[in-house]
Amino acid sequence: MARRPHLAATDPGGAPLRDRVASTTLHVIGIALAAVSVGMLACGLLEALTTGRDTAALAVSALVTGTAGGVLWYLTRPGEIRKRHVFSTVASTWVSITCVGALPFVLAGTFAAGGAGFVEQIVNSVFESASGYSASGSTVLSDFETPGRGLMMYRQLTHWYGGMGVVVLAVAVLPFLGVGGLELITAEAPGPSSDRLTPRVSETARRLWMVYIGFTLCAAVAFFVADGFSSVYDAVAHAFTVAATGGFSPYADSIGHFDSVAVETVVIVCMVLGGTSFTLHWRAVAERTVPYHRNSEFRSYLAMLGLAATVIVILLWLENHLSLGSSIRAAVFTVVSLGTSTGLSNATGPGSPGDYVTWVAGAQLVLLFLMVVGGCTGSTSGGIKVMRMRVLGLTMLRSVQHTQTPRAVIPIRLGRDVVSEGVVSRVAGFFLLHFLLVLCGMLAVTALEGDLESALGAVVSALGNMGPALGEAGPTSNYAVAFSQPARLVLALLMVIGRLEIFPILLAALTLADRGRAAVRRGRFSLQSLSRRLDDISGAGSDGE
Amino acid sequence: MLCGLAGIGDDNADAVAFACVGAACAIVAAVARRRVAAPARASAGRVFAGIGLLWTLLVLFGAALYAGTGSLRSFDDALVESAAGFTTTAVTLLDADEASRTVLLFRGVTSWVGGLIAILIAVVTLPVVLRSTALIGYTTGRRGLDLVPNASVGTRRVLVLYGGFTAACVVAYLLTGLPLTEALVLGLGTASTGGFTGQADSLAGYGAATQAVAAAGMLVAGAGIFVIWWIARGRLRPLWRSQELRTFVLLLAVAIAAMAVHRGIGWGEAGFMAVSMMSTTGFAIADWTGWGTSATVIMLVAAGIGTMMGSPGGGMKVMRARLLMGSAGGELRRQLDPYALILVRRDGETLSRRTLDRLGGHQIAWVVLVGIGVLLLGVSGVSLLGSVWGSVSAVSTVGPGMGEIGAFGRLEGLGRPGRLALVPLMMGGRMSIPPLMAGVGLVLHWYRAAVRRSRFLVVRAEQRRHPRPEPTNGDG
Repeated sequence: MARRPHLAATDPGGAPLRDRVASTTLHVIGIALAAVSVGMLACGLLEALTTGRDTAALAVSALVTGTAGGVLWYLTRPGEIRKRHVFSTVASTWVSITCVGALPFVLAGTFAAGGAGFVEQIVNSVFESASGYSASGSTVLSDFETPGRGLMMYRQLTHWYGGMGVVVLAVAVLPFLGVGGLELITAEAPGPSSDRLTPRVSETARRLWMVYIGFTLCAAVAFFVADGFSSVYDAVAHAFTVAATGGFSPYADSIGHFDSVAVETVVIVCMVLGGTSFTLHWRAVAERTVPYHRNSEFRSYLAMLGLAATVIVILLWLENHLSLGSSIRAAVFTVVSLGTSTGLSNATGPGSPGDYVTWVAGAQLVLLFLMVVGGCTGSTSGGIKVMRMRVLGLTMLRSVQHTQTPRAVIPIRLGRDVVSEGVVSRVAGFFLLHFLLVLCGMLAVTALEGDLESALGAVVSALGNMGPALGEAGPTSNYAVAFSQPARLVLALLMVIGRLEIFPILLAALTLADRGRAAVRRGRFSLQSLSRRLDDISGAGSDGE
Repeated sequence: MLCGLAGIGDDNADAVAFACVGAACAIVAAVARRRVAAPARASAGRVFAGIGLLWTLLVLFGAALYAGTGSLRSFDDALVESAAGFTTTAVTLLDADEASRTVLLFRGVTSWVGGLIAILIAVVTLPVVLRSTALIGYTTGRRGLDLVPNASVGTRRVLVLYGGFTAACVVAYLLTGLPLTEALVLGLGTASTGGFTGQADSLAGYGAATQAVAAAGMLVAGAGIFVIWWIARGRLRPLWRSQELRTFVLLLAVAIAAMAVHRGIGWGEAGFMAVSMMSTTGFAIADWTGWGTSATVIMLVAAGIGTMMGSPGGGMKVMRARLLMGSAGGELRRQLDPYALILVRRDGETLSRRTLDRLGGHQIAWVVLVGIGVLLLGVSGVSLLGSVWGSVSAVSTVGPGMGEIGAFGRLEGLGRPGRLALVPLMMGGRMSIPPLMAGVGLVLHWYRAAVRRSRFLVVRAEQRRHPRPEPTNGDG
């Protein structure tokens, strides 16, 4: 078999690629860690220039992460990518960056307040890292004053890395991956399929990141203007979170800290755009057209947000006895925040209009529905996605039609496009697995202590990468109050599973199980052949005698 | 009417109301039988729509009776009670001290009738009358042919088995020392998975022997008519080979062990409540809402999964849950190999992709129904916990739940809108998804036909107003 030309090439360092170990997984992990270390280093510089409390922690973390990433990158080369490798590559990359990403929090002792033990500190750091990189926004941080600005910026940056995806980044900077790169992007990207913007996969990944960077810059400028030109730090920190539809804020009361309609309006617009497909954004920029209104998923997404906001405004006005203005402000912000899976809050304190855990049950249930659905395909948001929900709704409608005309062939259409039966099956499978994970997650979290309301909210929130949940894990509280340490680890795992849209982690586990079974079979076979040989030898020996 | 006759001996004034409503019911049935001819071949949609209409009429007649006897204050409460009875849901607004023996007996009979109709629909109507392979997820597959070779024989056998099982339950309760009326009410409630006892604290006040009979009865009722058939025929091989039964028993064992080991609940109590929830009967022997969150979540999941095929109980059904999980697992495998041929089997039968797709569609509808229920209850002022539990419990026809519903299904904390919201949920859950969808489909079908007709009429009127010129020959 002819070797692919690019595998025979040499890298800038001069080492021939064929001398390296062929492992796409390790190579991608190396690049991802290197990228993360750059962020840590930048935040370390910011920390040194501002508060200076956590400079050492960030610098050491950057050094360790960068070295590990560099070594993996240098010693490995991309090998042949099989379907199985794609999922394990993406899953291992995410697990690696989640674990390594916890390093700055551990070294800075961010969670040491209140006499927390070492294990609890590690658990909290891993939870915060998982929440950050999965762009969830759930937090266990209670002391927002002690950590330095650089460390808090690193916390925001984790969202930004996770929003578009580090594997997409790896594909963008790694033209070697070429073949198989699309599968990697598809495995990481939110939604049932990823659009190819250009024939070259690496070019597609690069363009996605360009749109993402451009969007973040625009969001930062808009926030800076809306906040009265007061703080570049706040503008950049919140731009990272809205672009990634994350949910972290450097302030304990999130956007409620500013208590400004202008800031909230800018954040709402940015969150809506963050929950929209980045392919549409690219088309809008590249083709200088407005493609949004022609996209049926975007129309459904806006209709869903509008309807939910209207219902909640009415409920808050009538049942919670808030003024119409306060109802509109609280409802629209919260609906957009949870409907786009961002998770920012405009509550100024417990019991304020934006504190949605004090709203009537009907309003909270509408929010729970939004948490399940999430934003559009190809966006940075989480949840099941509007497109999948439409396919599910149409599948149900088809079943209704089949009760009248059992033999009819009824295709499922999204706009003018017919959805293939393979995609319909995949969406149904995804929904079932999502449903199953919610049940298993609830069983696990409640078994590890947690009330039903908080557990339901937290599991749905974790799988949908939402951030705040219901009950004790609401917007003015944190997960350390509501859940035990093991429950927090379960939720961290669910966040990563949700960010990768279930399949990669489960398939990686399946692959591992298959390998384990194969190893057991091999072991049995070896034992059998060994015993046969021993029998032969002993038989030969007795014959000889 | 029979209940009314039972009350005559007690010098009971309810007998008049029973006689009136019974006569009205009989007249409607006679008129319908006389005026409406059975179609030569009924479409699935119309059969399902008919089933929906039947449940609605039954519930309305039952409500009229409760309202007529004055055992419940308002027609709303009567509607809730009647719907709970016919849908075999263990929620009640009746006061055992105030309600007459006749009314209590009637409440038990409504559950029994509801259970019978549910079994007949599952094992006779769907597989035999409709002969629809696409509905295999809702039917019984090959084993159904054994019990139901044709509609009339199947109906007779089901009646005998169901009646016999009920009689066995009543006798067992009598042997534990209960008086006849109580034994009858409990027997009807056990065999039908209705869960009605006539007592405010369900079975908590009864002795251990009665509770043991109830647990055994619920287990058999939850296992379904096929298991009763196999036991009656002394056939152990199909019992052992049934995937569904194995899964049912395994799930129960896991639920009981998890509750007993993790929460430290007594094995007996844990076992009773797990069987009660999974068989969707709704009997309770303790206030289980204080057993801790994980135990209540286990019970919620058990109630959601529900019983086996051919049982009068509700829920998603063990077999359907199993098939759907198989289908989801298949989809997971397909991600690794898109061209893989992944087969989902049930008791040796391979299900077609089309069947699985439909089953998936129905499952989505089930989740949507539960979701709508949660929203309805939430908007009705019920707490979040009460809404989630209430919706799952009502759609699965269990009854008791956390929050406002209460451990004994007394609905004490539930307001009027919340109680009324339970009615469509219980009925939707009882009818199961296909009839519900067929009803919606029929309405959609009629709507589309009406739109087409009106368009046609508009076009014709337009043509009359502006007639087209007659085509003329070229040579004029």
